[in-house]
Amino acid sequence: MSVEIEQSIARMRLPTGLAGLLPALTLIGLFFVVPVLALLLRSVTDPAPGLQNYAALLGDGTYARVFFNTFLVAFVVTVVTVLVAFPVAWMLAIMPPALASLLFGIIILSMWTNLLTRTYAWMVLLQRTGVINRALMAIGITDQPLPLINNLTGVTIGMVYIMLPFMILPLVGTLRAIDPMTLRAAALCGASPLAAFRRILLPLSLPSIAAGGLMVFVMSLGYFVTPALLGGTSNMMLAEMIAQMIQSLLNWGLGSAAAFILLVVTMALYALQLRLVGSKRPAGGA
Amino acid sequence: MKLIFAGILAGLMATTAAKAEEMVFTSWGGTTQEAQTKSWAEPFTASAGVKVLQDGPTDYGKLKAMVDAKNVTWDVVDVEMDFAIKAAKDGLLEPIDFAVVPKDDLDPRFSNEHAIGSFYYSFVLAWNKGAVSGEPAGWTDMFDTKKFPGKRTFYKWSAPGVIEIALLADGVPADKLYPLDLDRAFKKLDTIKSDIVWWGGGAESQHLIASGEAAFGQLWNGRVFALEKDGADVGVSWNQNLTAADVLVVPKGAKNKDTAMKFLAAASSATGQAKFAEASGYAPINTKAKAEMPADVVKGLPDAHVDGQINLDMNYWAEHRDEIATRWYAWQAK
Repeated sequence: MSVEIEQSIARMRLPTGLAGLLPALTLIGLFFVVPVLALLLRSVTDPAPGLQNYAALLGDGTYARVFFNTFLVAFVVTVVTVLVAFPVAWMLAIMPPALASLLFGIIILSMWTNLLTRTYAWMVLLQRTGVINRALMAIGITDQPLPLINNLTGVTIGMVYIMLPFMILPLVGTLRAIDPMTLRAAALCGASPLAAFRRILLPLSLPSIAAGGLMVFVMSLGYFVTPALLGGTSNMMLAEMIAQMIQSLLNWGLGSAAAFILLVVTMALYALQLRLVGSKRPAGGA
Repeated sequence: MKLIFAGILAGLMATTAAKAEEMVFTSWGGTTQEAQTKSWAEPFTASAGVKVLQDGPTDYGKLKAMVDAKNVTWDVVDVEMDFAIKAAKDGLLEPIDFAVVPKDDLDPRFSNEHAIGSFYYSFVLAWNKGAVSGEPAGWTDMFDTKKFPGKRTFYKWSAPGVIEIALLADGVPADKLYPLDLDRAFKKLDTIKSDIVWWGGGAESQHLIASGEAAFGQLWNGRVFALEKDGADVGVSWNQNLTAADVLVVPKGAKNKDTAMKFLAAASSATGQAKFAEASGYAPINTKAKAEMPADVVKGLPDAHVDGQINLDMNYWAEHRDEIATRWYAWQAK
């Protein structure tokens, strides 16, 4: 008797649980799934049904170069971001809390400043007649202005600056959660600082580096403003090309196809990361 | 509760009532749209009692999306003329109601059945006097990196202008420009490609020249006019200046079409055009406008430099827009 009641309650619970999810599912369906499907549909129907948009994108040297540029920039930005973020995060993790929160404040404040403003600030700094080049020439390090803008260098500097907080914040959480005794133990056992870093600190923070790195990589893939302003036309990235197709050429079929390819690649990368690192949240992720 | 309901009702009534007396004008922002607001929208509000809401910047993708979705919130839009010709062909624009918009005094170069001239401008050669020794005499000098070293700046987007400049510099006579020899133009542009800095908007072009970041470049005459007014040390050559135009269009299915036509009549009137030209340094498309302008302003207009002036062929561009753009961006990305 009581078993039956329990079973019927269990049966009742299942639909109740799903009903509770309904609002969220509707929201995701309406605002994420439907638009993506519409995008896909347009890419194979505009201007005529067929795969000609994909054929045009994949068969053309220019588009291939833009795809390559996009991944190159995203990759370089991710690597540099990790290299810069790790020492900063480590310093934040071990410094006195009061000083650390001050530095945190500065990092977060930069995130709250308008993206366009920050990018323009870099333009002023990096250009041929800019502050950096003038200073370098005044000291005599170079007699010609260095090409710091309208090229890969400019894009990398500008984007790393914007991406840093997204890498630093999760890393600090992870590094703080690592028991300092493990490093002390390593030292006691005769490990050099480098060995302790390589065999303890790095493996323990790797999930966090991978998660942050993937986020930076994926965000970089779709970046528009910074590459458009700090890059040259020969470093054009996919987002800028899509904007051109949609706004200027009104070729929405081609633009949709390019956007869909970017989406598929991003999803594939995400799936790859799930396999490599696992879906578990990194320890202490902020 | 009742009060809230009454409030909503009153709000609804107010919007319906206000709707009959409102329209939306969309342009490119910055000093140009400010001048349009002052010269056209504000007097129109005063005389016709219609509130003109400002929106922007102009976005061709958005315009098409509105028309496709049959939900058009823009009533009058400032667009480039070659786009207007193409858009009219694609069925994106309302025909102009010439019963409302007087046509007789309009410069026929810059108006047609679906578009009324907004203003016209010239691409001129401008330089920073501190960064250039000597005086560049024309487009040929922009391709002579020995005589005139330094970065040169050109308009970034695929649009009438740069291709023609390259061909003129390569020795093509002005009356033989069209049909455009793209191979020849890109070959010429290749010779200075590493010295080109692109500008994507008017403010950027001013910044590049004023700071000396680019020694010289191809600029809109109104932007050079503004630089001179600000006291920047710039030189300008009107030799072979290239005219192009912005036009005003009404998107298909605009909610306040009739009001929009009245606005076009006011904007293209001699007075409206004279006021705008005085504020912006761009040229009026109404032939009677100059009579209402101060003499020193008239002297600075492209109209004062018709000698050697070349009209960029908007119809040719409208016809070949996509084809040229595809090659243009492919070349840039190389």
